[in-house]
Order: sequence, then structure tokens, then C-alpha cells
Amino acid sequence: MIRVQEAPFDAGTEQQALLAGRTDIGAVVSFTGLVRDFNERPEVTALTLEHYPGMTESALEAIVEEAKGRWPLDAVRVIHRVGRLTPGDPIVLVVVASAHRRAAFEACDFIMDYLKTRAPFWKKEHASDGDYWVSERHSDHADARRWEA
Amino acid sequence: MSLTHLNARGEAHMVDVADKPESRREAAASGRIHMRPETLALLAEGGLPKGDVLATARIAGIQAAKRTHELIPLCHALALSKVAVDFRLDEAESCVEVTATCRLNGRTGVEMEALTAVSVACLTLYDMCKAVDKSMEIGAIQLESKSGGRSGDYRRDTLESRPAPIVTGEGQAGEVSLGSRCDIASPCIRVKCLAELRERLGVGEIAVPLDSLERSDVAGLKAALKVLDPRFSRLDEGRVLCAVNQVMASDATPVTNEDEVAFFPPVTGG
Repeated sequence: MIRVQEAPFDAGTEQQALLAGRTDIGAVVSFTGLVRDFNERPEVTALTLEHYPGMTESALEAIVEEAKGRWPLDAVRVIHRVGRLTPGDPIVLVVVASAHRRAAFEACDFIMDYLKTRAPFWKKEHASDGDYWVSERHSDHADARRWEA
Repeated sequence: MSLTHLNARGEAHMVDVADKPESRREAAASGRIHMRPETLALLAEGGLPKGDVLATARIAGIQAAKRTHELIPLCHALALSKVAVDFRLDEAESCVEVTATCRLNGRTGVEMEALTAVSVACLTLYDMCKAVDKSMEIGAIQLESKSGGRSGDYRRDTLESRPAPIVTGEGQAGEVSLGSRCDIASPCIRVKCLAELRERLGVGEIAVPLDSLERSDVAGLKAALKVLDPRFSRLDEGRVLCAVNQVMASDATPVTNEDEVAFFPPVTGG
């Protein structure tokens, strides 16, 4: 399941919902990304996430489908927030459930790497000395390329 | 909630700020002066008898912000670190929109300074233009946002002053929309510029007639955009990605009537 929303989410609640009624799942891995108070500049006071409605959902769907093709997964949940967020707020949640831990760990890692380089989200950070759009990071592309071998 | 300028007996007093911690304070205010379209045109051309209207009003606004404490009885004298006054000529509404931003590191807010700057800049505009138009009307002077201090941050909740768009598209502050959506009579392509690219180009959406393309692909569309508006030459600056009908595309991807083509910078989500 994929959701793009302004509202906050609770990782625990989402994980419980994913596992409800299932006894065939042996491993669940959850990743939550949070807003940091430092990035390209110190003293980030807030950030605004913009996205491309429509394409965002289909890009996330494609990433999850690709993960399901690579690993035997029982359930996946991806939530990404948009709008104005402040340091400490959760931005993104990826929960992956599988029969075995290795698949769950790797698929969660993969989904985050692809999300960061392929899903149309853009961050504008508000720092004490002004606003700026966040630049892409080469390390994110290097991380994503690990899965192409 | 109580009025801080009144003491326990209800008498006016100046708030003692000696023990308040210093913090970075910023406030932005805006206002409008409506005038006849002919007056606005004269103002834009610099054809008014008293000379450069906007430069004079800007200096007046800055000076006024610095002297707010002399005008408003219970305001403290502040050493402002920044005052900026800007103008936007709005031909559709036949008005000048005045905005002022004030900043300091200190113990008291700067919203009165920003509001004073806007008010006096508007009055100066009136003075500079009154020889040709006495019917001008000053209005909508209001605080847009303030930050810092104990009372917390404030932001006027209007479409224009929202921090940034979540949904890319129409009518963001400071951007120009060229053309309109496709109509049935003329086949065209709907182009969107997203995120940082939209701000860099100053264009959110534009409709491009299909017959202005020499080649029916993304490269042909880019060439047509550059002919339409020189700002689109910046599509070649840095890494700009493209999606046709919400699927990632390249210069060779074909485009046709009613397609939605989006240009955007590298993604930075997660």
C-alpha cells in the first residue's frame, strides 16, 4: 500500500496494521526517515516537500513492484509526507514483511534507495539565513547503483 | 490571552524587555494602493511629475521603519539589522502591492516596524502620484508573517503566503503563467515546470501549440519553448529531468496533442 499525505503517521500503528491477521510472516523491517535540524546548512528550521501528484504514486508503485520481483515479499507499506515539516517530524515510512529476514532487510534498503533517486519529491529547506532547494546527493545515486549489478 | 501593553490596572505601559532572551526576529507586512490604470501606467513608465516614485517610496518605507518608536507610543527603539521594501505593480487589479521585511536579533518583535514601513511607503506613493490621481485608495495593510520570540511564529493563511506549493501548478506567488490550457480548436502540449526549476524560470505552466514544434519530440518541444520565451534557455542549465504523461522521458521521447510534459530538477525526497 502506498500513501502520499500531509498528515503525520505512526510507524507502530502502520506496522501493526500490516501484520494484522497474518501468521505466515517471519520478519518485518521498518524504516522511518526524519527531518534533521542540519543539512546543507546548519539550523534548518523547517522544510517543505513538493511532489508531482499522480506521477509520485505511480513511481512509488513501480519501485514496490520491482522489489516484489526481486525478493519474496508478503506485504509492503510506503508512506511519504508532503507539505511543511519541522525537525523531528517523520517524513517517510517503509515497512516490508517477508517470511525471512534477509529479504525484508534488503527490500527495505532497496525501496529507500530507489525512492530517493526516482520518486518525484523535492525538498526546500528553511534555515535561519534563508530558504533553498536541496541538491541531489551523489551518495544516493551510488547507493541506488548497488542494486543494478 | 491578555494585552501586554496594559498593566494590572488597565493603564498603558511599556513592556520591560530587559530580561527577555535575544532571538532572531523577522516580520513581513504588505499593503496595497489602488489607483486608476492610467496612473499605474505613468508610474511604470516613470512619467510622474515628482520623479522616481518607487525609489522614493522605498527610502521612505525604510526610514519609517527605523523611526517607528517615535510614532507608536509604546514601541521600543530598535536597532534593525535589515529593512527591505519591495513593490509589485499589479495591472490586473490596478494597484501597487507594497511589501516590507524587517529583521533584528533582539528582545522584541519587529512587526510594527514592517507595518509602519508599508504604511509610509503607501503614503509616499500617494504623495508622489496625487498630482494626477486623487482617487487613490490605500488598503489591506496587514502582517504577513513573523518569526522569533515567545509568542511563536505567525503566518497569514492565504494562498499567496503559503510557504511553498505542495502541488505543483497554477498561480504561485511571483511566477508568470503564459498561455492557457489546451482547447479543442488548437492542438497543444501542456508543459509544467516543477519545484526549483519553476522558481528559477518563473513559469509554472504553459501551453505550447503543437504546430510550433519542428520535431514532435521532447527536443523539439524544448526548442519551441526557447523561441516562445528566452527564459527557457535555462532548461539546459544543470541537470533537468523530463516526464511525458508522468513517465520519465528523454529528448527523443515523442510528444503529441494533449500530452502533459513536466520538466524538473533531480529528485530529493525520502
